[in-house]
Amino acid sequence: MGLELISANHAAGLAATLAGRANRIGRGFCCGVYPITPATDCMEFLCSQEIEKSKVVRAESEHSAMAVCIGASAAGARSFTATSANGLAYMAENCVTVAGLRLPVVMMVANRTMGPPWNIWADHGDSLMLRDLGWLQFYCADNQEVFDTVLSAYRLAEDQRVMMPAMVCIDGFTLSHTIAQIEVPNQQEVDSFLPPLHIPHQLGSTPHALGQIEVAHQVASHRKQHHEAMTAVFEVYDQIQQEFRDIMQRDLADPVVPYRIEDAETVIISMGTIGATAEQVVDQLREEGHKIGALRIRMLRPFPAELIHESLRSARRVAVIDRDISLGFGGVLWGEIRTIAARDKLVQNYMAGIGGGDVRPHHLVGIVKDVCSREQAAEPVIMEDLQ
Amino acid sequence: MNKLNTHQNSEETAESGFISRNISLPLEIRVHGRGGQGGVTCAKLIAATYAQLDFHVQTFGDYGAERTGAPIRAFTRIDRNTIKNRNKVYWPDHLLVLDKGLLGPSLLDGVSEGASLLINSSETPASLRKHYPQYRLAVVDATGIARKYGIGTSAVVIINTTIVGAYAAFTGLPLEAVRRAFEFFNFGDDFEAAQAASEAVAIFDYSGKRSAKKTEVTPKSSPDTEVLPLTSHLKDIPTALKTGAWSTQTPIYQEYAAPCSIACPAGNDVVGFIQMLKEKGVTAAAELLLQTQPLPAVCGRVCPAPCMHACNREYYDGPVNIRSLERWIADNDETKPVPMEDPKPLSFAVIGSGPAGLSAAYYLAMQGQQVSLLEKEGSLGGVLRTGIPEYRLPEQILDRDIDRIVGLGVETICSSPVSKEDITRLLKDYDGVIVCKGLGLAFSLEATGSNLPGVQQGLDFLQENKQSVAQLSGNVLVIGGGNTAIDCARSALRSGASSVKLIYRRSRAEMPAISEEIEEAIREGVQILTQRQPVAFIGDDRIRGVLLAEVDLGPEDEDGRRKPLVTERTVELDCDTVLLALGQEKDLDLVPAGAKIKGNQAWDKDSPLHLWFAGDCLTGDGTVAHAIGNGRRTALAALATCRGEEQPSEKSFKSTVAPAHIRFSHFPVIPPHQDRHRPSTSWHNNFEEVNQGLPGPGEAERCFSCGRCTHCDTCLVYCPDGIIFREGKDYRIDQEYCKGCGICVAECPRRAMEMIDK
Repeated sequence: MGLELISANHAAGLAATLAGRANRIGRGFCCGVYPITPATDCMEFLCSQEIEKSKVVRAESEHSAMAVCIGASAAGARSFTATSANGLAYMAENCVTVAGLRLPVVMMVANRTMGPPWNIWADHGDSLMLRDLGWLQFYCADNQEVFDTVLSAYRLAEDQRVMMPAMVCIDGFTLSHTIAQIEVPNQQEVDSFLPPLHIPHQLGSTPHALGQIEVAHQVASHRKQHHEAMTAVFEVYDQIQQEFRDIMQRDLADPVVPYRIEDAETVIISMGTIGATAEQVVDQLREEGHKIGALRIRMLRPFPAELIHESLRSARRVAVIDRDISLGFGGVLWGEIRTIAARDKLVQNYMAGIGGGDVRPHHLVGIVKDVCSREQAAEPVIMEDLQ
Repeated sequence: MNKLNTHQNSEETAESGFISRNISLPLEIRVHGRGGQGGVTCAKLIAATYAQLDFHVQTFGDYGAERTGAPIRAFTRIDRNTIKNRNKVYWPDHLLVLDKGLLGPSLLDGVSEGASLLINSSETPASLRKHYPQYRLAVVDATGIARKYGIGTSAVVIINTTIVGAYAAFTGLPLEAVRRAFEFFNFGDDFEAAQAASEAVAIFDYSGKRSAKKTEVTPKSSPDTEVLPLTSHLKDIPTALKTGAWSTQTPIYQEYAAPCSIACPAGNDVVGFIQMLKEKGVTAAAELLLQTQPLPAVCGRVCPAPCMHACNREYYDGPVNIRSLERWIADNDETKPVPMEDPKPLSFAVIGSGPAGLSAAYYLAMQGQQVSLLEKEGSLGGVLRTGIPEYRLPEQILDRDIDRIVGLGVETICSSPVSKEDITRLLKDYDGVIVCKGLGLAFSLEATGSNLPGVQQGLDFLQENKQSVAQLSGNVLVIGGGNTAIDCARSALRSGASSVKLIYRRSRAEMPAISEEIEEAIREGVQILTQRQPVAFIGDDRIRGVLLAEVDLGPEDEDGRRKPLVTERTVELDCDTVLLALGQEKDLDLVPAGAKIKGNQAWDKDSPLHLWFAGDCLTGDGTVAHAIGNGRRTALAALATCRGEEQPSEKSFKSTVAPAHIRFSHFPVIPPHQDRHRPSTSWHNNFEEVNQGLPGPGEAERCFSCGRCTHCDTCLVYCPDGIIFREGKDYRIDQEYCKGCGICVAECPRRAMEMIDK
């Protein structure tokens, strides 16, 4: 274990590299990559690494990059890619395929605003577009979490009870280009955390078709199996956290990260780096005597409904902050929280930081004040004036 | 039966022209067809017809993963009121079957006794009636009618409009309503056919009562069977949809003729021996090659290689260097062929030991026959030994090929010229005689001074040169454009000539010599003057110059070459020696007096003699490969005749693989491997072999293997349904699931598959 000063983009690339090497006694490591800001650094890092039994294919598009990952993974190689925004949109068709084929590809998405209007800064709209495809989805708040999440995403995605792709989302620039210290395990530690990949339906010397035509009831059964595998994730994740602790001597973050929530009457719910800012604001407002807490949703799929429900037990007011907008509806996260928050709670939606606006503590303070002043929830609020 | 009495607010206008005891409301109609036949449009037209009568209608197709030929269904509902039922039609009152091939138990699912069934079939209505006595039945040959009216194409007849006419007659719908429905959808032109169908349809009424009982409907697939997780199996699990039933065509593995093999005058299985070299090595390749080619080391050096001109790779990155691959096999293999044993061998005399004679002797000996090979010169080989210079075909190479033939036990009789009289004797002594004496006299040039000393036949010069290097000096002119001319020119350079010019009357492109040889001659310093013709040789007691006339190229003659027209424009060229290489005549002077040649056999009046002629003396083709092929075929035909057996036949193919059949994108661009050559500076006074051949057999990798499966797995990999399997060394296609999409055939890089009608 050593300390490294590294950007989150590189942290993701480094985690993938170590994971790739860990499969050297298996069928190695193979990625398809295509550059797009702000994920480019990550793939560049990967291209510069010497990884035995590996191939990083510089494809001609995101769609092809994912196609390479599909082929590699189907053949038993550990696989990785990174992209953003419209690149992810272009890749989408193969993202559907990789999920439908139940292949444990891990992808880093540096969240970026979907254009047009063109904008390269953080917005969760891109990865949320693929929310319902059958991928595991994580949203990270700091560099260490990016590293740990990529590493544990492999362990989770490749578990025989899960067996599906995983998306690790990091706020573009705000996180992707931020450099900070992280603890990096050595290869031996990674090797013991990540056993060689075994894909039960791996392609062998006898070719066979993947993704054949199915009639309605077969599709329904396969969807049910996929859904049930999603449900199994929580139990598997618990075990992975335990093993992570044993090997790395530190904790792997929970699916839902509560902060000073035990007696909180008002709770700020968010995803990604806004969650870190929220924690500062909680400290600040606690100083002033407010009973306030924060809840950061790290795992969006599968949706940890029970954990969230449990965390909100004492809350009377909930401010859900979305760095996204489902046009014609409101915040995506708000929509999800509303389904599990009890009827007696006031759940108000604030869409903040859309298009990369910098969500600063005073914005959150304003949000808290606003939600505390309400007697009942109103229409979602779109905060337009963030710079 | 009720008479449309389900509605009380009677709308007389709608009913007036259309009242039938066969219609009850709501009415449900199901159409069964195949993708491409227009079943959905048919259902739509029926709905539109009812709509003309102010009924509420609903119509839709049952779309799935269909393609041409896949069974499709379409549904129509008719009612007096708004139709709210959005389900498929499970219990149809009217069933239309557009393709008789679809008729099967599940097709009649939910069709209750007494329901109306309309079938498109060319079978006699009475015979179909026997199968379906429990329904009201109508039969019409809509396909025949639609074809007659030219609806669709000659390959795919579209019957969706025609059958609506039959349906109208069957149900009593007024044709006027049909006409208006057609016009509404711009099918007005098809109305005549529909009218014809309404007249042609045969209708059988059902005497019993229409059953109200709903009959069983078989589920499309059984949800009871366990759906295995995607992650639990390594094989394709068949889906419940047996898509094989959709197909009208199926792929098969089929060998097509490779253009190289077709082009080879010797009959070599070119693609075969190259693939063999690639897959099983040099010995296996040599064994295959020797089945048609007794002189591979010779042909691998001197053949003009029509195979290479035919090679499909010519249209990609350059033809496969086949000639040199043949040479490589010959030079790197020591296989001793084992002849068959014949307990009662026949005896054959083969006259002449050139390529045709050697070929005939080899294949007769391989068949276990006794062969005597008669040669007028002191050693075997004919023109191969006397006419091809050492730098192109070294003697020890020729001897290797000849030793293999003699090693089979062929009796060789050298220095033994044969006359017409000898033939009569030989016919008595042997069961068969094959004359392969090669070409006869060399053509001369009718020009003044052609008898002057210093004017010489090129072949004589070449033969002298083989015995001891002839000494030439000064300027040498060679007249001619074939291989002999090039051999003379390059040999003259090696024999001391200070300059060599080659004079040819046509254009460079028309020179019959091997193009690589021409290139090498030029590289060595031979000057080539085309469209020139000597009209006089100048000199007193010895040649000292030639009068050359310019030649214009006239219209094409019968062999497709432009006719040379000698002009009056002349120029004089100094020279010290002239070598004539103008070709030779065929030579049949050994045909016995009174006998005639029919085909390749001599006949005495009406009775065939056991005397055959083969090679250049008969055909005048003039290449080693032609002579070898003709020698072999004649020998085997002669053997069959002498044994009283049927004539042997060679493998025939449906068709040849053209460049358009090759999927070039499947192959990486690799330019041909070139032969190694001695540096051109070393030619002077040096008859060592110039061309050193290929360094290895790697060139074989470039062969497309046109028309012959290499088990490359492309078909298997591209099959969208994963239903092509390796089985032994071949492939198996699961017909239960093959949709007949043809992707495997389209993707096959080398045309080793085709689609056939089922």
